[in-house]
Amino acid sequence: MLMALFHILIFPGLLFLGVYGLIMAYLDRKIYARLQNRQGPPWFQPLADFLKLLGKETIVPELANKKAFPFLPVLALAAVTTAYLYIPLWSMSSLYPFEGDLIVILYLLTLPTLCFFLGGWYSGSVYAVLGSVRVITQLFSYEVPLFMALLTPALLANTWSLSGITQYYAAHPLYILINIPAFIVAVIACQGKLERVPFDLPEAETELAGGTFVEYGGRLYAIFKMAIDCELVVVASLIAAVFLPFYTGNPWADFGLYIVKTIVILFIFALFRTIMARIRIEQMVAFCWKYLVPLALIQLIVNLLLKGVLA
Amino acid sequence: MAKNLIEKAIDWGRRKSPWIIHFNAGACNGCDIEVVDALTPRYDVERFGILQQGTPRHADVLVCTGAVTLQTKDRLKQIYEQMPEPKFVIAVGTCACTGGVFDGCYCVNGGIDSVIPVDVYLPGCAARPEAIIDAVNKLLASLEEQQKSEENTDE
Ligand code: SF4
Repeated sequence: MLMALFHILIFPGLLFLGVYGLIMAYLDRKIYARLQNRQGPPWFQPLADFLKLLGKETIVPELANKKAFPFLPVLALAAVTTAYLYIPLWSMSSLYPFEGDLIVILYLLTLPTLCFFLGGWYSGSVYAVLGSVRVITQLFSYEVPLFMALLTPALLANTWSLSGITQYYAAHPLYILINIPAFIVAVIACQGKLERVPFDLPEAETELAGGTFVEYGGRLYAIFKMAIDCELVVVASLIAAVFLPFYTGNPWADFGLYIVKTIVILFIFALFRTIMARIRIEQMVAFCWKYLVPLALIQLIVNLLLKGVLA
Repeated sequence: MAKNLIEKAIDWGRRKSPWIIHFNAGACNGCDIEVVDALTPRYDVERFGILQQGTPRHADVLVCTGAVTLQTKDRLKQIYEQMPEPKFVIAVGTCACTGGVFDGCYCVNGGIDSVIPVDVYLPGCAARPEAIIDAVNKLLASLEEQQKSEENTDE
């Protein structure tokens, strides 16, 4: 009981995830800045932003739903933190593995997106509602390729549990190469999940003035921001666990390896953010359904055939 | 009563992360170009934690340019009221400070401070980007002094 509480609240739960989320946010901004040939923010910047937002006045707009509006950021953060508990970090097995946890993680990661949607929908601002509509439109286009990309490696490993997949690929490292198209699809689809450039349409500062988060300020926005930073960590860890299962066997070394893996994935994300511009919503939908889904389908067929050959 | 650790941390956060929102109250666009200039990678204001925000709900500092016209008067007030406390206002450009060359015009209400309280006045036609960054820094310096004096009087 005590151990479980420790896992949920301190390590690897809320506290560690929050701190690592802030570090990742800093690295993201710093890499972005360096790629643009500027100095970038100091190391404490995300922490300062977070503390400042915590200390600001919290406004609940008159037109907003008084119950849902303050509740949604907390729900988003809770969902992300829960998902983190099921991802293998310092060993090939997560803390609470069970058959099917990969699906649970994917659904827990959909919850924050739904929170963004409802948060915008209930805040009673036109900009926010427009942003919300985009959140859902986007959800329908990246979610399918993302799920397919993450579930095809599971198909080959013949298990729905993340720990099982990691162990399978750690035992057969060469099979990782087969999953490279799925890796590419997953990384691109995750840009949509994390609402980053080129798929940051729901926030689109220049057209929607902040999109779904228009009415959120102060403490509520701080929690939302924290949820987004943590989601970045969770998604990076998930991709690392499924597509980069390299382990030494020593928990400390593996934990270091985990940090390296997530930072490499973050670097790819930051690179995307730097070299691309925001695209329009129908371009985004077309891109996902025309290119990402077929690529994921091909991967699916290849893995199915391979499974038959190997069996 | 001395400030406790949490209050001190929040004070520190306030000094380190000024998020700005830019509003044109009726400038000739000269000052606006300079504000946009200041936000380019060349000046890299992210070094000081300055971020441009799209909505007043996220912003701490309202960067206003131009004399207030009768058309923008109510909008300016509304945007100011939409910002959560604590909030600060910087008037960029001579027009924003006093009305400048537009003062006395039939459609002009006056400087920014004829509508909302202003914390930093930055004259210049147009104000240079360096000066705008300096204005934000001066604002933060005065904020630090204020926080310190609050602490001392409280004790
Ligand atoms: S101060 Fe000069 S540049 Fe700025 S708005 Fe006034 S006239 Fe234009």
